[in-house]
Amino acid sequence: MVVTGDYSAAYGALICDVDVVAAYPITPQTFIVEDFSEFVADGLTDAEFVKVESEHSAMSACIAAQAAGARTFTATASQGLALMHEMLFVAAALHLPIVMPVVNRTLAAPIGIWCEYNDTMPERDTGWLQVYCETNQEVLDMVIQSYKIGEHRDVMLPVMPSMDAFILSHTVEPVHAPSTDEVADFLPRYQPQAILDTSNPMTIGSFAPPEYIQEIRYQSEVTMQKAREVIQQVNDDFAQTFGRDYHGLIEEYRTDDADVVLITMGTVTGTAREVVDDMRREGKKVGLVKLRFFRPFPLQELRRVAENVEAMGVYDRAMSFGSGGPAFIETRHALYGLDIPVVNFLAGLGGRDVVKEDVRLMFEKTLKAAKEGRAENETVWIGTRGVKP
Amino acid sequence: MSLNIKDLPDEHLFTPGHTACPGCAAPIVVRNLMKVFGKDTIVYAPANCLLVFGGTYPYIAWKVPYLHEAFENTGACISGVKRAVKKLGKDSLVVGIAGDGGTYDIGIQALSGAAERNEDVIYVCYDNEAYMNTGIQRSGSTPFGAATTTTPVGKKIPGKTQNKKNMAEIMRAHEIPYMATMSIAYPKDFLRKAEKARDTRGFRYLHVFSPCPTGWRHDPALSIEMGRRAVESGMWTLYEAEYGRITDIYKPKRKIPVKEYIRDQGRFRHFTEEMVAKLQEYADHKWKQMYGSLPEEKPE
Amino acid sequence: MAAQTYALAAVMEDNYAVSFPFFGAERRGAPVMAFTRVDKDVIRIKTQIYEPDYVVVLDETLLETVDVLKGLKEDGMVVINTARRPDEVQLSREVNCATVDATSISLELLGRPITNTSMLGALARATGEVSMESIERAIMEKFGGKLGTEAGEKNARAARKAYQDLQVGMCRGGKDFVPRKEWLPTVQEMPLGGSIGALETEAGLVGIGSFVRNKTGDWRTFIPHVDHDKCIGCRMCWFYCPEGCITMEDQKAVIDFDYCKGCGICAQECPVDAISMERERR
Repeated sequence: MVVTGDYSAAYGALICDVDVVAAYPITPQTFIVEDFSEFVADGLTDAEFVKVESEHSAMSACIAAQAAGARTFTATASQGLALMHEMLFVAAALHLPIVMPVVNRTLAAPIGIWCEYNDTMPERDTGWLQVYCETNQEVLDMVIQSYKIGEHRDVMLPVMPSMDAFILSHTVEPVHAPSTDEVADFLPRYQPQAILDTSNPMTIGSFAPPEYIQEIRYQSEVTMQKAREVIQQVNDDFAQTFGRDYHGLIEEYRTDDADVVLITMGTVTGTAREVVDDMRREGKKVGLVKLRFFRPFPLQELRRVAENVEAMGVYDRAMSFGSGGPAFIETRHALYGLDIPVVNFLAGLGGRDVVKEDVRLMFEKTLKAAKEGRAENETVWIGTRGVKP
Repeated sequence: MSLNIKDLPDEHLFTPGHTACPGCAAPIVVRNLMKVFGKDTIVYAPANCLLVFGGTYPYIAWKVPYLHEAFENTGACISGVKRAVKKLGKDSLVVGIAGDGGTYDIGIQALSGAAERNEDVIYVCYDNEAYMNTGIQRSGSTPFGAATTTTPVGKKIPGKTQNKKNMAEIMRAHEIPYMATMSIAYPKDFLRKAEKARDTRGFRYLHVFSPCPTGWRHDPALSIEMGRRAVESGMWTLYEAEYGRITDIYKPKRKIPVKEYIRDQGRFRHFTEEMVAKLQEYADHKWKQMYGSLPEEKPE
Repeated sequence: MAAQTYALAAVMEDNYAVSFPFFGAERRGAPVMAFTRVDKDVIRIKTQIYEPDYVVVLDETLLETVDVLKGLKEDGMVVINTARRPDEVQLSREVNCATVDATSISLELLGRPITNTSMLGALARATGEVSMESIERAIMEKFGGKLGTEAGEKNARAARKAYQDLQVGMCRGGKDFVPRKEWLPTVQEMPLGGSIGALETEAGLVGIGSFVRNKTGDWRTFIPHVDHDKCIGCRMCWFYCPEGCITMEDQKAVIDFDYCKGCGICAQECPVDAISMERERR
């Protein structure tokens, strides 16, 4: 099929046979709820679709339905995600493996509808797994994988597969869709670890004093760490079953003999692959790391890459004001003690297009840092009027 | 279909050991509602006194499945539970029990959404006319003049300056299958409405007046009496509606002055004659609204 | 608020003082803790107090269930609200002990069994570290400001009366306490996210239906008495009891005093006046 990223997400939910969907429309996620509404209207699924009055209620209803034993699905973007913020913690701490595609859209102000990661980045401490997609195919595949990873008994955490606003959400490209039966073989029925059931009453989410909460926090950390292995296992299973390999937490592209690598997320990765090929043809030994999972963060994997290069560039589509781009901050944490320059590049904020020249500039700056053994500027804003890159 | 106190089962689905203040009406409401609703019930409580007095982890007074998520989302949470229960082929009753803050104020959006979708759930508001859980702050339900910690009796401003929001009418305007206002001071009426809600399908809204001795500063023994005087003075009206049409209104045999209702409550202690008159005007207005006209005889 | 008032009085006498409650959701009548530190120098430590010089017990029913002397310094003192003399009180060990019947004082002077201000007077006398005059000034400032001058004065009078009535001596020792077992699961034992059903543990039942272990009868000041000759078995009290601690035996109301908080609703609502409330003497 030739479909949008939004359709891929909705279709993923359909073939994963979700029980309950609760969602609220927001640009550029709207197609997801519209497409799923059509699936329901056409009788392609008998899922319960709760057409709630806000994103806060969407997440609240998903948590409640998941706690009652259902496999649930929702989707949102930007302001909608921010409105859910409170509930994201609840979903994760109660270990309810909800899957929620997020269409990355700039968070106001000024209000805009185009791509920026300042919506999902503030949610990185909620206890959700986060994975950033490069293609519509990856969106569909990661919805399927997210259920399998999240529902794994060692993980039991919610997952947020993200896609770039418009660049994926509203762009059509060819997508191979597995059948419902194929997915059913790959993804077993959801087995809840706790359930609201009157034949065996349980309490979920009750008021707890300091004697108990710290242990529950530690569980979140343990399960998030366990997710590393599970992500790899599921990736490998998926590759074997469906023939598409995303390589797990990160994907490396032409890093084998690279002098420098650039870390990218989301759709910029595709453009950066082109730039790598161009520069390789020019004899420049550059490579690329696609940072797929932001939670759990690939600490060991990035460190392993860094051990073999002379400098690293990190592309961020969001800024943590007063510090640096989130991917940069975390990468430096992963690289602590390694004596190589790391340069942070900010570009594409508010949905500004990130073009090949921008990516080439990132590589050139990183190569320069490698040559000089230090970065001239640690944080480089690219394509910002009045700011020298 | 007329349930009596004597028909209620002995078994508690909300047990003793809870930590509500002495004389609190909320556990009376909750325990007896649960006796009507029965064991095949799943309960959601948002942030409210009930959440706290109903258990501190790992101890809990509930004997039915019980969920808490947050404060402002009762309508959404009970929708989610019910849809899942239905999808999984079960038919448990799903009930949300929120306070007035969680209903009139922060929870009104999710409540309105769930009512408009006609979710097959029961929403209970136990109304004690302020945010009692956090220490008696005013809510949209706090009546005119009442002292709360955010409407203190100051040198310039004596208590709350606005009237109580008419939440029951807002819910009636949703034209849901069933809504009722209740008071535990009228047990037969209370049980009949609880039973009717249980046996109705679609969205049901039960609004129970729930005196709070701590917040209202009255003798804990007088909680039921306060509920009675509220109805007799017209400060609270017992009625029910189906699809927006009022089907029954309870009319007290006599109308007592508001003064009699407020006299034993510390939250009204600072009332001047002028303030009493203003609150009386509110009660008279409500009375006329509900019963058509004021009684002719002068109240004693 | 009493702990804060003591701190205020101490500050009025050129001390530095810090006072804080155990941060929790308070319910009227439920056991709570509060802490006060007083020093000549600035106090920097922010922890709860584990080895106090003085322990003040507002509710003597706690003496039966909690070892109130836990952590109290050897030469420390316990100040208890009780009608008993110090030598009539038995605790885990023999220590300095001061007693006063603050409940009676509060009922007499304030009309309500709220004993915190009375106990401030008792504490002033017991410690000798803050003068009664400062306590009175502090009460006027804390309570008078909030509840009005008249209420402030009443509370100050209650404190003064407790100050005068306090009896100082030694309590008896030797009382055994079996500490209540608590379920403190490790990360591995803790159900994921804390979700539990009805779980039997070495500390007893936890989860669904387990709150019955919380015996709220300790909260009571007044106790209901049912006259079974008058009781008609109408179940109104059974319906109205907020605790749900009334059962019907042979058509007569029977109250479970393990849970009764003494609110008085049953007595107020009984249609045949078969229930009366009395001050409880424990």
